Amino acid sequence: MKKTMAVLTGIAGLFLMGCSNHTEDTNAAQNIKDKSWEEILQEADGETVRLYMWGGDEGINQYIDEYVKPELQAEHNVTLDRIPLDTNEIIQKLETEKRAGQDDGTIDLIWMNGENFKRAKENDLLFGPFTDQIPSYQAFYDTESLDFQYDFGTETDGLEAPWGKVQFVFHYDASKIQEPPATLDELMKFAEENPGRFTYPAAGDFTGDAFIRHVLYGKASSIEQLLDSPFSEEVAETESEEVWAYLNDMTPHLWRSGATYPSSLTELDRLYSQGEVWMTMGYNEARAEDLVEKGIFPETTESFVLQQPGSIGNTHFLSIPDNSRAKEGAMAAIDFLLSPEAQLAKLEPAYWGENTPIDLALLDDEDKAAFEELDRGETVIDQQTLTDAFLPEIDAEYVPWLQEKWIDEVASQ
Amino acid sequence: MKRSLFYSLAILFFLFPAILLGLKSVTPIWRWGEPLSFNWTLRGWTSFWMDDRILHALWLSLLIALTVTLINLAVGMMAGKALSHSSFKGKSMLETLLLLPLFVPAMAAAIGLHITMIRLGLANHWTGVVIVHLVPTIPYTIKIMKAGYDRLGSDLIDQSRMLKAGPFRTFREIELPLLLPSVRSAVFLVVTISMSQYVLTAIIGGGSVITLPIIYYPFLQSVDDTVMAAFSIVFAILPVFAVLIIELISRFFITKNSFFNRGAV
Amino acid sequence: MKWLHNNRSAVLLAPALLFLLLVLYSLTMSFVESIRGVDGWTFDYYQGLFQERRLYASFGYSLTITLISTLLSIAIGWGIVRSFHTFIENSPGKWLVWIPMLFPHFVWGYFVLLLLGQSGLISSALFGLGWIEERDQFPVFVQDRNGIGIITTYLWKEIPFVILMLLPVYAQLPKQYGEVIQVLGGSKRHIFKTIEWPWVKPVLLEVALILTAFIFTAYEVPALLGVQYPQMTAELAYDWFYGVSWDERSYAFALLFIAAAVMGFIALISFMILNRQRWLISKSQHSR
Repeated sequence: MKKTMAVLTGIAGLFLMGCSNHTEDTNAAQNIKDKSWEEILQEADGETVRLYMWGGDEGINQYIDEYVKPELQAEHNVTLDRIPLDTNEIIQKLETEKRAGQDDGTIDLIWMNGENFKRAKENDLLFGPFTDQIPSYQAFYDTESLDFQYDFGTETDGLEAPWGKVQFVFHYDASKIQEPPATLDELMKFAEENPGRFTYPAAGDFTGDAFIRHVLYGKASSIEQLLDSPFSEEVAETESEEVWAYLNDMTPHLWRSGATYPSSLTELDRLYSQGEVWMTMGYNEARAEDLVEKGIFPETTESFVLQQPGSIGNTHFLSIPDNSRAKEGAMAAIDFLLSPEAQLAKLEPAYWGENTPIDLALLDDEDKAAFEELDRGETVIDQQTLTDAFLPEIDAEYVPWLQEKWIDEVASQ
Repeated sequence: MKRSLFYSLAILFFLFPAILLGLKSVTPIWRWGEPLSFNWTLRGWTSFWMDDRILHALWLSLLIALTVTLINLAVGMMAGKALSHSSFKGKSMLETLLLLPLFVPAMAAAIGLHITMIRLGLANHWTGVVIVHLVPTIPYTIKIMKAGYDRLGSDLIDQSRMLKAGPFRTFREIELPLLLPSVRSAVFLVVTISMSQYVLTAIIGGGSVITLPIIYYPFLQSVDDTVMAAFSIVFAILPVFAVLIIELISRFFITKNSFFNRGAV
Repeated sequence: MKWLHNNRSAVLLAPALLFLLLVLYSLTMSFVESIRGVDGWTFDYYQGLFQERRLYASFGYSLTITLISTLLSIAIGWGIVRSFHTFIENSPGKWLVWIPMLFPHFVWGYFVLLLLGQSGLISSALFGLGWIEERDQFPVFVQDRNGIGIITTYLWKEIPFVILMLLPVYAQLPKQYGEVIQVLGGSKRHIFKTIEWPWVKPVLLEVALILTAFIFTAYEVPALLGVQYPQMTAELAYDWFYGVSWDERSYAFALLFIAAAVMGFIALISFMILNRQRWLISKSQHSR
């Protein structure tokens, strides 16, 4: 009964409470700004850092739990807790905490990029700028690189530190396809000659969106114009006309004659694993390695990139929420996660297999050799081919725009 | 005849899927057109045990579900009795309002609940998660209990009171045994719902409260059927455990020589 | 005496009222979020919602699937309980029925895919038997425009729920009355009308309301087993809710709250009618 009364008064109290003010927060940011790295590490000592990240990949989880956790504990005495949660829900949680005026949040570190970063940045959910204080970022990364200054066209402003770099590749079953297509036109020809054997995830799925952007890059009058100028509906309208024409031409030759599309990459992967379609795709050049290993993808799986228009690559980042209680600990964790040793371990196909955003030219010879010699597995295309095909991302605002348009122009036709 | 018909239908439609999922959790991918592969693999189960928080998560999920169930039964029985055995102005309104949480999906309700829990100081704590789990469960329990009391009628209770039995004794010897079918349904439903709450637990628990769905849900988006099946099986066994525990408790609670034995079967 | 009686029900209702307070406060906070615009309060989103073309396309589709799933679940579940309740209640059979409820909707949807997809087990078995030569010959049951996959999944999951809700009703049904009526020469239909129906009706109504609200607003199953166009309204709400744009998030709120309000209104009307009927019955009983 006492408890009930307590809750009752608590609820009554709610109606009276107002918002708390945020002046303290800015002070905290200022404080950390003035601290030296040694002082930050001192503060970090003994802190627990909660890393919120998407948790649906065993390899990634293992990398964090089995490698990063003990190493970080040993190096900085920072305890890392990995909390699996979808990125959009993480942002949602932060927004609500901000609305309710909760200054001591539970999230200390987030893994994200693109739309989610844009949403978080626009709603002032992030702490920083902090990247200029991270030693390993300053030492081993090309801080001037546009890949790090912009995240899907949104200026990062030092609120995000680059953690990984991935490139878009297609996977195919070499027992069924001799010569994979190299251009969008050849892809069209492939679809025509092999009806029902190709499809892409619907817009709204991360990978499906990326596939449509490839078509946009390939069909636009000038890629430079798309990349250099911010989103404008006018440009988007004119430049995308041929995109819809291309996709609609392709529709009748797709899986299920284009009556529907896989709703997610998982669905496309499932179709591929069953041999229903002969190609799948994804935003990580090394991801097929693990799936072949587990016998889910056929052993004859290989990868390719389109020479024309190329292969879009992007960087994903780590950020610290504004209401984190362990900002110093989070910075220490970021410093470790960005270090060459942690990046090298991340590249191991056994864990994650993902590429590093590190600038190899800035490493000492021994580290550099270690990166270059690491065998990423047979399904991974060599670095030179990937670099040659590399295309950066366009403004994040294209993403929802293309989604809407795709439904109007393609799916509902 | 009726019996065998029921069992063949039930086994085909209800048991067979569970068995198939169990089989899937220990076999690699089955490809179309190829005979089913039975190269047994423990991969699904080892990845399940890989997360070192799994035991703690199992325990915490049980604790939360049982607490939620007990609160549900208390609130539900009291409210069910009141709604059934008395009539007052605004009763229809009250009944509608009590059903309202079921009409608003968790996605939309989560924000409001999160704000409430932050202000109550219960966010990021398992007690907050318990309170939030009440939201999608209590409406069911009240409904089930009200229906139970409706059928029980007030006559038996009145008779027992007339025979000078105290309210507790009446409850224990008359109401509870007769309501047992309803209690069972409610317990099962509440436990299952509580154990499958992902979004609410994640948002309110804030990472301090790691329950089974928190670890398990992300794997639902995986193309690795074997792992997914293994997780689903554990996930399904847990509520059965919780229901058994409640069943045991209720057997102790109901006196053996209770007036109605048939309810206690 | 009457006062004491009423007072006692107030005590009995206190925890439920407390719970209600919590829920209403939370829903109000959610609602406040939905009318908070970039600068100040606004109901624009609730108006703007009705101009969204995608919504109209999805609405009829959603409603059809929801109603078919709900009505079929209830009809079949009720049929099962009526035919088999005598031994479901006191047998291991009861546990069998509850199995599908133990799995989340998503898992069951995946199971339907595993079974009924063109690359599924049944299709594969038919190929093995030589009945079909290509998987394209297997009919499209999942990810189909008619929502067969979605409806199948919902039926499979909700029929056990209907059984669960109805089983206590039949377990506690006063059987003696039926015998009395039979002895007095009443027909089976008469027994149904006077004994079964009055107890079953309110539960059926509640189950129908709960299922309708749930199926209309759940996105997991249609996302897995539906087609890209038309989409169910719930998928649209989900896309909007987690999209980047603030406007769209508010649309999602507006949509879900309107749906909840409509369901609440239907529920209120139904309960008022039911309670009135019950009141009349009990009044006639006590004035005998």
